Amino acid sequence: METKWLARIVGLVITAVAVGAAFLLAQIVILHPDLGVPTPIKEGLLGEWDLLYSSARPPASVFWAAVALALLAAAGIAIIERYAMRKARLSLNKRETPLSPILIMKETAGRHYPLTLTVLVPAHNEEAALPVTLPALMAQSYQPDRIIVLADNCTDSTIAVAEQHGAEVFVTVNNKRKKAGGLNQVLATFLPTARDNDIVMVMDADTSLDAGFIEAAMDRFRNDRALMSVGGIFYGENGHGLLGQFQRNEYIRYSRQINRRRGKVFVLTGTSSLFRPAALKAVAEARGHTIPGHEGDVYDTIALTEDNELTIALKSLGALMVSPPRCTVVTELMPDRKMLWTQRMRWQRGALDNIGAYGITLATARYWAQQMGIGYSVIALYSYMLMMLITVIAVDTWIWFPFWLLIGAVFIVERIVTVWRGGWKARLLALTLFPELGYDMYLNAIFVKSIWDITWDKKAHWGWEQTEQSVLASEATEGLAP
Amino acid sequence: MMHIYAGILLPSSVLNSDWFAVLAAFVAINTIIYVTLAVAKILPRFRLRFITKYFQKNRRIESRGI
Repeated sequence: METKWLARIVGLVITAVAVGAAFLLAQIVILHPDLGVPTPIKEGLLGEWDLLYSSARPPASVFWAAVALALLAAAGIAIIERYAMRKARLSLNKRETPLSPILIMKETAGRHYPLTLTVLVPAHNEEAALPVTLPALMAQSYQPDRIIVLADNCTDSTIAVAEQHGAEVFVTVNNKRKKAGGLNQVLATFLPTARDNDIVMVMDADTSLDAGFIEAAMDRFRNDRALMSVGGIFYGENGHGLLGQFQRNEYIRYSRQINRRRGKVFVLTGTSSLFRPAALKAVAEARGHTIPGHEGDVYDTIALTEDNELTIALKSLGALMVSPPRCTVVTELMPDRKMLWTQRMRWQRGALDNIGAYGITLATARYWAQQMGIGYSVIALYSYMLMMLITVIAVDTWIWFPFWLLIGAVFIVERIVTVWRGGWKARLLALTLFPELGYDMYLNAIFVKSIWDITWDKKAHWGWEQTEQSVLASEATEGLAP
Repeated sequence: MMHIYAGILLPSSVLNSDWFAVLAAFVAINTIIYVTLAVAKILPRFRLRFITKYFQKNRRIESRGI
């Protein structure tokens, strides 16, 4: 691919844009020093206490300029995304966008194959999870035609448990490429004989689908034969104390955002997504030609986040996809800080690797903008914290700023409203504001570390040390073999 | 007697320095940018319905069902 050089400097590009924007704003502020000068402090009385307060607030022109800037940035990103979708829908370019709805409609005209569903459940030592997952799957209002458990390098009784619960078992052969490698193996046997409407669902063994998930997804496929993929919307499981609540709030906000986007997909989650065979076949054929990867592979086995990579692959090929509001799943949360760090490092690094591999295209524009947005938010949040810290340790008399208190109140309202459906625990955490800001700073630190790592070409890993080591060990042994 | 204005760790004169004014203004503008986005998240989503409706008649010239 001609964009390979981007893979290394992706971090620098994002940093340059974020720092550049902050620098520009700082220059404007320096040229107009009156913007930040507080107006004279007035003393007020409230009941028994003497309260010092300042009516300092930015001039109206500055206030409205900042509001306009925010709205323009948001609208700009939305317009680019809409343009990309519209272009993909109407593209007649068979080589670049073989999955564009207009082409698929022409190809499938007059063909009326029945709708079937095959569920693939990748399982690496999942004897504990399967007795819950498989019966739940069979109890869905829409019954899958086939359930295939992919037993991948299992050392426990996964195979026996899967068979006991009436699932078919596919045992991977010499798979050293984890989940993606196992899925590629089974798809290589499934896809050649699959017809237009033989839908494939990929779901994690520890995911529990909400009732009606499959029915809602299959309805979408029935109503639109150009639809290539349906992705689940995930919520966090219960438990894990405060750290669990942070993650649950994060997921609730994410799913709310997807619903407000009317199901426009960010990522077809690996926890549960459905595909038309045409989509997966097109990806396998395009790899090594118009998109990165090895020809013939559905999943990119090098990607750290193979679901995010597949989403970008499908979007690049013009595929139509949706995350319907009824397709919800409950997913596991990270129980401690170390595991959360590892998971998020993998996600963040994977996201950066993916856009680096694809370069700046219409299909990836939204993802680039997202990363640049995170980059800028790092600067904004840390500079806010720095200012607060300096103020607290330098101030001799506490002064209230009513204008900024009001702004803070608006932030709190937004935090609460966006997690409202999470119940009183979610709202209580949102109300306190600062703990969630701390969590955001933690995620920002992960972003910065990922940028650093990718720039200096530090190896990223899966976070499944055990598996990783055994893979490396087996590869090393192979190398030594005569 | 001289009155010394001092915070916990830094002299309070820091808060009146030029560079702190720049930092404060930078933070202020960013805060307004982010509060605008926050308000946008609370309010019902803005859609150009009349435009969407106008284009809707050009879409789906045939049923896309199976």
